[in-house]
Amino acid sequence: MPITAPLWPITGWLLLNDVASAELPFNLAQLTPGVFVHLGQQVSPEAAGHDDIANTGFIVGKTCIAVIDTGGSVDVGRALRAAIRQHSALPICYVINTHVHFDHVLGNAAFADDHVSFVGSATLATEMKRSESFFFQNYGARRVIGPDRLVEKDLTLDLGGRRLSLKAWATAHTDCDLTVVDEKTGTLWAGDLLFRERLPALDGSAKGWLAAIADLESWHVKLTVPGHGTLSRDLPAALAPEQHYLQALVDSIRMDLKKGVSLQSALGEAANTERGTWLLWDEVHPRNVARVYQELEWE
Amino acid sequence: MTESSSVVVASHSAARRVLAALLIVLTANVAAAQDSQPSSSAWQFLKDKYYGDHTMGVVDEQFMSVEAPANTPDAAATPVTLHFANDPTRAIKRVRVFIDNNPSPLAATFEFTAGAVPITAIDMRVRVDRFTSVRAVAETAGGDLEMRSTWVKAAGGCSAPPAATGSGALGEIRFRPSMDAKSLQVSIRHPNSSGFQIDPRTNAPIPAHYISSLTLQAGGKPVLSADLGISISENPTLRIATDRALPTPVMIDAVDSETHAHYSATMADNRVAAAQ
Repeated sequence: MPITAPLWPITGWLLLNDVASAELPFNLAQLTPGVFVHLGQQVSPEAAGHDDIANTGFIVGKTCIAVIDTGGSVDVGRALRAAIRQHSALPICYVINTHVHFDHVLGNAAFADDHVSFVGSATLATEMKRSESFFFQNYGARRVIGPDRLVEKDLTLDLGGRRLSLKAWATAHTDCDLTVVDEKTGTLWAGDLLFRERLPALDGSAKGWLAAIADLESWHVKLTVPGHGTLSRDLPAALAPEQHYLQALVDSIRMDLKKGVSLQSALGEAANTERGTWLLWDEVHPRNVARVYQELEWE
Repeated sequence: MTESSSVVVASHSAARRVLAALLIVLTANVAAAQDSQPSSSAWQFLKDKYYGDHTMGVVDEQFMSVEAPANTPDAAATPVTLHFANDPTRAIKRVRVFIDNNPSPLAATFEFTAGAVPITAIDMRVRVDRFTSVRAVAETAGGDLEMRSTWVKAAGGCSAPPAATGSGALGEIRFRPSMDAKSLQVSIRHPNSSGFQIDPRTNAPIPAHYISSLTLQAGGKPVLSADLGISISENPTLRIATDRALPTPVMIDAVDSETHAHYSATMADNRVAAAQ
């Protein structure tokens, strides 16, 4: 299936494969009972529709709803909230952010009046503050809401007969990554620890990210929702392309540093053989090279 | 109605495209001239300040070149590479690097030691605040001036918050010789705060705090010294390429702008990388 195809065949495929499911507006699919996902668009943050590039969604328990990521603008957040309300009148208790990037957090403002608890990694609060003026200037944000409930390592949230298990990670994609597992259905929300189809964007540590991938490979989950890209029922297979790319980047730049190749030259050459079918290579790869170079020169 | 108005819009935009194309053709010569000799009021001011009415050559690319990515992947750490010819009759004495539109445009002044191992390239990483020319002006021992420049599209590099993943001991120095020992990268752990950054924890400005100068010795003789400004990126890093293996021991001494502390390190052997 071409990865640039409209999203409905993908969700349609999931619908066919799931016992109970229903398709709702706002490109929303119920993957498995009580688990809803909205797939973001695979476009550059600079392109039209840039506020809707991340996967978002929600999980419904017996007494509570938890939202996981809210999109890149208050408009996307509102659309998500409206979609929730079409399905359930239960209170929204938690808005969980998987990390600081704008496309996952700027919809938080749409939930400001819901008396929710905003949940994130212990480092997310500072990261949100750091990014505030950047969000105001570059993404038209008018209100940035950070977490009020922080996850140091692990946290379990109870939605009423349904437990979500949250884990905060050491620096990987960013320095505030958080994953969520719906224990009832074995659904993993990987946040941006997993990119599919779209080239992974590094904002933390390549070595840390590879370590996180090695950890995740052994997780037994039934369904994985990546931060970007299509869903997967095979987590190790879904992680493989991203792992391959990051490892190639690290190997190539390590060699560059050994040979005395400058960052300038590395920008145009490092790991270019990995281009493959990744989306947004030209937009994302040079920055990854610069990041990894600066990380590895201190090895 | 909708259809006819959309036709009008289409032909109107077509006309605009033709007009735009004409304008591009008409201004092409002017643009080309500007590309080869970028100029700005900022540069005019800097040129007068540092060089007065001294004549400045701009065409000799063999003598010196300046390279930077037109679209930088990271405004706070944009690589700039200077390449130098090894012309003993026109030995370079000093090179200044300017970033026209930065709050403090003079990024670095390099003094080359006469008779030392000839330097063929210097790599550095700089903060770029907004679209700007990045230029290098070389002064020869004979007093000639040569200028080369390039254009960089970037924004916000001076006020970008410190890297979230920054760590290590202040002043820690890392030598990274290449396998052929003709290139040496020196990195210094230092926030190199520009004075234009905000501390996300307190919302207060972070005072300027940077490496203000450094000297490099090889085989017991000075090779290069540099005065550095706030445009140099966090964890200041210089890569120096020479036309032959740099004699050892290599010694670096860097000075802190605020504490005046000296951060020094010595590399006894630059065949380390080759032995690995």
